[in-house]
This record gives sequence, C-alpha cells and structure tokens, in this order.
Amino acid sequence: MSARDLRELSDPDLASALASGEVAALGELYDRYGSLAFAVAVRVVGDAGRAEDVVQEAFLKVWRSAARFDAQRGSLRGWLLACVRNRAIDSLRGRGAHEQAELELQPELVATGSGSDPWREVSRSLERSAIQEALSSLPAEQRQAIELAYYGGYTYSEIAEMSRVPLSTVKGRARLALEKLHSYLVGRGMVSDAV
Amino acid sequence: MRSEHEVMEDAVAAYLLGAGEPGEAETVRAHLTGCASCRELAARLSRAAAALPLAVEEAAPPGRLRERILAAASAEAPHASAPSPHLPASAPLRLPRRPALVNKRGSERWLPLAAAAVALLAVGVAGGIGVSRATAPNVAAAHYSLNGSGSLQGAAASVVDFRGTGTTLVEFRGLPAAPAGKVYELWLIPNGAKPIAAGVFSPDADGSKVLVLPRDLGGISVMAVTVEQGPAGATQPTQQPELSGSLA
Repeated sequence: MSARDLRELSDPDLASALASGEVAALGELYDRYGSLAFAVAVRVVGDAGRAEDVVQEAFLKVWRSAARFDAQRGSLRGWLLACVRNRAIDSLRGRGAHEQAELELQPELVATGSGSDPWREVSRSLERSAIQEALSSLPAEQRQAIELAYYGGYTYSEIAEMSRVPLSTVKGRARLALEKLHSYLVGRGMVSDAV
Repeated sequence: MRSEHEVMEDAVAAYLLGAGEPGEAETVRAHLTGCASCRELAARLSRAAAALPLAVEEAAPPGRLRERILAAASAEAPHASAPSPHLPASAPLRLPRRPALVNKRGSERWLPLAAAAVALLAVGVAGGIGVSRATAPNVAAAHYSLNGSGSLQGAAASVVDFRGTGTTLVEFRGLPAAPAGKVYELWLIPNGAKPIAAGVFSPDADGSKVLVLPRDLGGISVMAVTVEQGPAGATQPTQQPELSGSLA
C-alpha cells in the first residue's frame, strides 16, 4: 500500500494495516500522532530524552498488539495515548502500567480520526482548544486532582497527602471533574451522550 | 455516610485515571461486569478521561525518533499471524517511496540491532572488506560495498543485510552535496528486472548518511545510487549510476 493510500485510511483501517505487519502503516500512525504522543510523554516525564524512549515503547506496543485492537471498543488514538501515558508513568514512578485497561474504554471524540491531513490539523486544533477551555473552567482543586492523577501518576492517597485533604475529598473532586468535563464535551458535541 | 456503591463509583473514576490503589483495578473490573449503572458511569467518564491528553500542545519529536521506531519494528516484522484486508500475509513488505528510515550517524539513541549493525559496519570498513560476505556472531549478516566513479569517485557505501530480520543498513561516506534541486536516489536492482526505488536522501554535511531499509536483499543483484530531481526522485533511474556494487 502506498504512503498516499495509507494517508487516506481511517484509524480503524490503519489498525488493520498495522496488524498485517505493514511497517509503513506504523510510519503513518507516527505521522498522525507522533507529535501528540511525544508531547504527552514530555508532559509526564519532563525530559525529552526519556520521552523518546517512552514514545518508542508505546508505538512498538501498538505495533505488536495491533491484531488485538477492536474499533468497537475504543479508538486507535486513545489506545496509543493510553500506552504513552502508562509507560511514561512507569518510567517516572516505576509503577506497573494498567495494560489491561489500555484496550478498554478508550473512546474517540467525535471530531477526529479520519479525513485528510489539513482537516486533521484544523480539527485537532479546535479540539485541543475546547478541551483546554473545559479544563480551565473547572475549579482549581478539581483540575489539580485529575492532572496529578493522569499526568503525575499519583494515586488518590498520594494526592490526598500532598494536598492535605481527606482521601474522600480527593475522590469526590476527581469524579466531579470528570463528570463536568464529560458534560462540557457533550455540550460541544465532541462526545456522544449515548452509552 | 457514603454508600458502598458511591464508594465504588469513585473507584471507577480512579480506575479510569489510573489512580487507584494497588489491587483496586481488579475489584473495579469485577464490579463493572455485574453493575450496569457503574458501566454507564465508566462509559461516560472514560470519554472525559480520554480527552485529557488531547489538551496538550503538540511538540515535534526529534527526527531520529521516527527512524528508531520504524527500524525497531522492521527488525521485528513480520509479526502478524492474522490475514489482513490490506496486505496478504504472504506478500512482501513494500519499500517506502522515501527513506523513512534514515538515521544520522552517531545518533545517541540507536536501537540495539542498529547499534550492532553500525558496529558491524565499522568492523567491515576497518577490515577493508570489498564485495564480500561475513557472518557476525549471533546475527547472520551479509556485507557488501558500493564504490563510486566519475563525479562520485570519492564516495563509497557499506551495506549490511541482516538476514532473517528484514533489515538492511546502508552507510554512505564521501558523498558530495547533490546539485541544487536534486537528491540522491537508492535503487535495488533484481536479476533481470526493473530497478526498485528504495528512497531518496541527501547526505549530511560531512558526506555521510545511514539508511535503514525495512527489507533484506534477497533477489537483489545490484544496489546503485543516481542523482535525480528532488524532492521526490524518479520512478526509474534517469542516468547511469556512479555509485554501485554487486550483491552477488
């Protein structure tokens, strides 16, 4: 399959090409999400060199396991980013990643995942702005709770200790933050409300 | 006092954020199988959790990272057992039109196989190997060399085909910069068949370049380089190669 053909593939079809062992498909996946994956890794580990290792591990994980990918259960991008995040946390804190969860519950937002490069760029930029806006609309302590958990790899207990608040408070804040974020994304038409 | 179910709902959020206590994930997964309302909650909150990494401003990774990843994948391929709707399992991997797998020599983050390959190349060069074969310990590798003539008189390349891994390294040295608007193009020429374009490249300032090809050299009898119109190169050579070598 030519590079041009690969560029036209939807993410689920790209996953099939990956599963077939087509190395060029991995290149296409990298071209689509390499910058985002690297940015997430840097955000977590805080070091570009370490982030490179994390991103490589994550892409190779997807490459090796692509045959297990099921588009009905989640998105390719979500899976890749979950792999990046978990490996980054492993690298940062020496904690076992949650591999079983990587292939589960990684829904795709409505606005992305297919289309030509220019469309992807515009779409992603709008999507990023909307999510940043949603996060900034959260009360600071709620935002901090989910950011410490997601990007810092801290458990709720650790966040409670750092924040000097009861564990139950942290749990409530994080859940509320996700609930509000979800409502915001539904309101913007970025995710489906259907279960 | 919070109910047991409310406690579990908080645990679902923790699970989705990867922030649960050790062992909690298994409890949550078990609970989700039997609790429809928590499954609905998980479906909702997972959409929010999946959005978190998308808020990060993208950052361009170093160019070498793509090369590293693809070279590592090439060394593992083929890995799939399931037939693909796009490419039959028995079909050969196609070479990329461009040298997607190009690495600057001296990169500090080579994958082990590539590092071994560079070491092998170094041994081959130091030993003055011409068109010859050698087998390295643990890795079956065939070595070849390309020699320049005419305007590329001072140029040469060492080639290592890692048999069985689907990876070939080509290390160029002494290459002058291509004329303005032109690029070098690498060709793999099978016996009695048309040349196969294996990618375009430009040498580094010191005249060196390392290409990693995601294939072996089975069935290829000659490797050659021509100067072609940039940036995409040509589909077939437009001139006699001035840098080439036999793989026989």
